[in-house]
Amino acid sequence: MNCENCQELIHDLLDGTLSGQQQLALNAHLSECLDCANVRQDLESILGFCRDHRGEYEAPPNEKAMWLRIRNVIEAKNGALQATPARRSLFGWLNRSWELSLPQLAGLAAAIVLCVSLATAVGLRRLESTSTQTTPRTLEASAVSDRVWQQQQVVNYWNQRIEVNKVRWSPEMRQTFDRNLAVIDQAVNDSLNELHRNPHDDLSEQMLNDAMNDKVALLKEFSDL
Amino acid sequence: MTSRSLSLQNRYLAGVLSVLTIVVAIVLVAAPAVLAQQRLSKRYPCGKNVRIELKNVSGTITVESWNKDEIRLSATMESPSAHVVPRQMEDSLVVDVMGDNRGRGDVGDVNFKLQVPPNSSVDLETKRGNISVSNLRGVSVRAHVSSEGDIELANVSASQVIAQNTIGNIFFDGEFSRGGTYEFKSTKGDITIRIPGDSAFRLVASSPARKIQVGPFWNNGFKTLGDGRRLVGDVGDGRSSVSVTNFSGQITFMRR
Repeated sequence: MNCENCQELIHDLLDGTLSGQQQLALNAHLSECLDCANVRQDLESILGFCRDHRGEYEAPPNEKAMWLRIRNVIEAKNGALQATPARRSLFGWLNRSWELSLPQLAGLAAAIVLCVSLATAVGLRRLESTSTQTTPRTLEASAVSDRVWQQQQVVNYWNQRIEVNKVRWSPEMRQTFDRNLAVIDQAVNDSLNELHRNPHDDLSEQMLNDAMNDKVALLKEFSDL
Repeated sequence: MTSRSLSLQNRYLAGVLSVLTIVVAIVLVAAPAVLAQQRLSKRYPCGKNVRIELKNVSGTITVESWNKDEIRLSATMESPSAHVVPRQMEDSLVVDVMGDNRGRGDVGDVNFKLQVPPNSSVDLETKRGNISVSNLRGVSVRAHVSSEGDIELANVSASQVIAQNTIGNIFFDGEFSRGGTYEFKSTKGDITIRIPGDSAFRLVASSPARKIQVGPFWNNGFKTLGDGRRLVGDVGDGRSSVSVTNFSGQITFMRR
């Protein structure tokens, strides 16, 4: 009996399932071979430990999480394995030999020319519009319109709240509110018109800011009625 | 007695009767409204430098001084469901009609009259209605009408005064203290400021309608900006700061 046969039969020996003749031959080898004898001893001690501590094993603290981690690891490995052929196919497509007919070649050239001219036209237009926007006057006008737009958003918000609450007001209060809002709107429009006539007019800009702030204040104050 | 004199007598009686009927009808119509009004009158002992904070929704506010160390608050409420719960804290009295009647719907006009020590500071607000303050010399006076209502500050001498409304006139008759700040703002209404001739202040007056008249306080140091829409300049040593803004009404300065 050699060591390989011996180590295959050690499990059966420890389980007690060997025939008498096999058992004799195995014991003869184990008495002569120190390595196989050590394997037998290791296996015997493992089985003995398991036998002594049967039923004492503790489940992991979060079994579900552990299984989830295991599944993730497996899926990640599977994904990596699946991605590999796609990369291979891309390389394969790039490495293929390109043989084009004359009409195909002409079509490709026409497509490239069209793309380049489109990109140039768009780029030039953008450059022109950027250069016109950078004048101080346009910048100021856009800054004012931005502020007006922002204020308008605030006004819209408070207007919505007012509309919800307005039904509870007395007719007199509603008339008062509408009348006063119209007066402030007039002040806003006057300032805007003045600013359109002279975009550099700081005073009109201040008056416009004042009027718009007054409008927001009026809406706020009436919104909690 | 002739038939002619009898018919004259009948006509006279008919006239008297019809006048009486009209008077009775007016009384009958008006009486429930008068009876429905609620009245509140309370007195609060206080120090000499008290602060009054009053937030009304609709109605007039009248504040005047008296020579007593106490506040007398009187309120007339148009609606019987209106609540007014003044709260006295350390050196201050707070009345918040808005807060006291939250969830009660429209409570109509609440008209206030307050009598306060002369050195009181007042912070008065209403959404709608007139505000009148007289004979005060406290630290600050603020009168704010969110929408429409006149503001009248008579014989007021405080180091900080703010008066603002949307529609309505603003009238200030008082003195500018050294180092004080004064701000008057209306969207549609006239602003009139009546001060002593020797007042010293720095003025910034803005009126897109170009209606600014400084009258006797004009001097060559004034600068006109924006084609007459703003006037900036010092009167005297300019120790107090006065800002007046009026979108469509007149700004007028007068000597006391």
